[in-house]
Amino acid sequence: MTHHAQLELKHISYAPISLISESGGDILTDIQMTVRHGEWISILGMNGSGKSTLLKVAAGLIRQGVRGSLHRAGIGRDKPIPIVMQHPDAGLIGSTPWEDVVTLLERQGVPAEGIVPLAEQSLKNVGLINRMHQPLETLSGGQKQLVAIAGCLAAEAPILLLDEVTAMLDPGMTSIVCSHVRRLNQQGTTVLWITQRLEELMPSDRTLVMSEGRIVFDDSAGELFRRASSGEALGSPGELLGFEAPYAVKVAWELGAQGIELPYIPLTVNQLAEAVSWYER
Amino acid sequence: MSADWLLYHVGVNAFGERTQPLLQDINLHIEAGKMTLLLGHNGAGKSTLLESLAGLRELAAGSIRLGDEPLWTERGKKRINRAVIGRIGIAMQQSEAQWFASTVREELAFSLRPYRIDGSEAEERMQAAMASIGLELSLLGRDPWTLSGGQQRRLAIACLLACQPDWLLLDEPTAGLDTEGIQRLIGMLNEYRATGRGLIVATHDLESLLPIADRIIVISDGRAFETSPAEAALTMGAAAPQAMQGEALLRNKGWQGALSPAGITQGDGEAQWQSPEELALLMAAELQRKSNGETRIQSRLVSPRFAEEEMLVPEESRLYAHSADSESSSGQRENRQPNKEIFYDPRALVAAYLIVTAGLLSLNSLIQLAMGALIAGGLVLPFRKQLIPLLPIIRGFLYFSLVFILIGAVSMQPFELQWSKSEPIAIRMLQLWLIMILGMPLLALMSPIRLQRGLEQTFGWMAKLRVPIHSLSLLVMLIFRFIPLLMREWVRFAKIVKARGKSTARGNGIPLRLLTYLFIPYIRAILRMAESMADALEARGIGQTSVRTTQGFKLFFTRADGVMILVAVAACAVLLVVRFWL
Repeated sequence: MTHHAQLELKHISYAPISLISESGGDILTDIQMTVRHGEWISILGMNGSGKSTLLKVAAGLIRQGVRGSLHRAGIGRDKPIPIVMQHPDAGLIGSTPWEDVVTLLERQGVPAEGIVPLAEQSLKNVGLINRMHQPLETLSGGQKQLVAIAGCLAAEAPILLLDEVTAMLDPGMTSIVCSHVRRLNQQGTTVLWITQRLEELMPSDRTLVMSEGRIVFDDSAGELFRRASSGEALGSPGELLGFEAPYAVKVAWELGAQGIELPYIPLTVNQLAEAVSWYER
Repeated sequence: MSADWLLYHVGVNAFGERTQPLLQDINLHIEAGKMTLLLGHNGAGKSTLLESLAGLRELAAGSIRLGDEPLWTERGKKRINRAVIGRIGIAMQQSEAQWFASTVREELAFSLRPYRIDGSEAEERMQAAMASIGLELSLLGRDPWTLSGGQQRRLAIACLLACQPDWLLLDEPTAGLDTEGIQRLIGMLNEYRATGRGLIVATHDLESLLPIADRIIVISDGRAFETSPAEAALTMGAAAPQAMQGEALLRNKGWQGALSPAGITQGDGEAQWQSPEELALLMAAELQRKSNGETRIQSRLVSPRFAEEEMLVPEESRLYAHSADSESSSGQRENRQPNKEIFYDPRALVAAYLIVTAGLLSLNSLIQLAMGALIAGGLVLPFRKQLIPLLPIIRGFLYFSLVFILIGAVSMQPFELQWSKSEPIAIRMLQLWLIMILGMPLLALMSPIRLQRGLEQTFGWMAKLRVPIHSLSLLVMLIFRFIPLLMREWVRFAKIVKARGKSTARGNGIPLRLLTYLFIPYIRAILRMAESMADALEARGIGQTSVRTTQGFKLFFTRADGVMILVAVAACAVLLVVRFWL
């Protein structure tokens, strides 16, 4: 894994053109962000905090009204990076997964002879190879999101930009989509993952919290709920930012109070189990 | 105390389908005075069951009764029993998108209308309903669309409460509510149950609702199983409340001693789970005991990543067990097999259609037309399956034609019907009818992408003349995607309006008097859908005009295409023979 920057945002601010004359109309304010190759970045924040806008600016979909500098490494750096959004039905165009990915590649002008193998390979990567000729309306919401992700892979998106792709899925489908994307990330794909659900995070994820157009937290997800050791009254960054601590976090705090320091702060009960296993060794 | 629901061998099919059961052989006794949760993954049939109870789905088999009253009248023509649906209130998913009136008060009044309640009693009921779900009375004069999302969801429930139904049927009531909204909802549900009335709630939100549930019904593959809250929790994997997973964690580690003595649930559904502090204390005690060298139990080694939920519950018993390539994942019951039909080349299809049409148009007497009908029928026969859903249109056009023929036959002085006058009209109309029937299977025989490709390959040269043929062909694909979504939205809003208006109309039909209430929310929803689609397509990089598009595959004429064209030519020849020698 190389560690040089794949995407760099320096002092980025953004206001829609129509609001630029008014003061304080900024949707993004002084964003500093560096994305390294192969990184997983989770982005949290309330509705309206600017998460989706940040993603669109980073993707190059919004250019007008953006101040500051944006650098992208690698070839094709002028092409916008595709984003997958939360509504499974909205972004798909074909009537089967195969048609959808093929059409997407054709529309992007990929050389004709490579299209079909590329499309089939990327559908295979998200586990849909056996369903690629099945009518779209017979797929579940999670499978539709995987089709959209396959489209990004096929189009050789340098970064997977996923904007609350699990928001409309049930718990089972959420975990399928999560585990597929986690696997792609382990194989080296850079992922920016916007979510509202803390349980989708891993303690080691780099996590950004957005609030009122600013990045107000940038550290690992575990640190989000680490209470300052000096006194409980201070509270963890997560609490100060208005997140309700998950059950497992509360257990970890109480364990800490009992003198048992886990190697990291777990966000789910399963991670708690792992943390305890590590502690026992 | 209200009456109980009794379901005997209930089966429900998808609309317009006879072979795909959404629900099958459901036998349930759902008691009043209790809160029953319906669990199951998306597409398992939870919403279908709720809609069936509300009379919004016709039963393919079995019967549903509320106490002594059948939901569907059993004698004579099948109608919904007004006495039953008047006693239930149903809130479907996303029912907050339903507003058509300019004030909250008018929305509530519309819900009360079928009960013929107005004046001061209506006002009292509205206020009570608003108060019990935590909406301020000052909101009564507001435009419902200006309320926040959470308020709109609560208003949808207030509309039900105002009618004081014996049963509340709720589909995902906690979705989109914040913590405070959920607390309010739970308070309201508890109050409602305490009055002896019944609740049926379909949900994924076990964290909030499992603790207050009395009974659990799991819907899986269109069948229903009853289970207790404790048992259900064990099969829920990652969806189980975190506290419950905490219990499972202890058990999994073999720390039986640390389990709370009360067990997971007690008595009448009042769950008593350990608080995080209690769990931590128990765990700390175990860990310290072990580090002191006491009985060391082999703990499971877990790989640092991807242990995610693999360890708590055995795979096969998980409610939310999915895997992307297993056939059992959600929504699959509504599936057909992957399309194995042969797709013809769209160009060949259109050519064959034009040839046969020319033959049909040359006919000019009713006898010739009868021969034409035989031939057209023969040609359509292999594709009759595609025609079944379109039968109402075929029938409709025929009636329409008959009216025309009748009008054409009228002569005023003296008033009489003259066949000779209307014969030419009859020939024309029946010709068109045959051509229409012949054309109907066409779209089903070509997939959108092949149609698009056919257009591009035939008219691609026009791009040189600056005709935007590639944009137009993209439009064709979009229309194909959009039309089913439009129809789905229509069905969704029709159901909401029918449930609120307590309509007794069957199937997908909607009474004229309710149509006006349907239009506004429907148009709004379509506009919003179009916007989000445009957004998402652009974000995926489909709308980039700067790049030249390519073609990843091309269409070629196949043997099947050739055979089809030969058949068309033969049919046309026969028709011409009929025309000139009969």
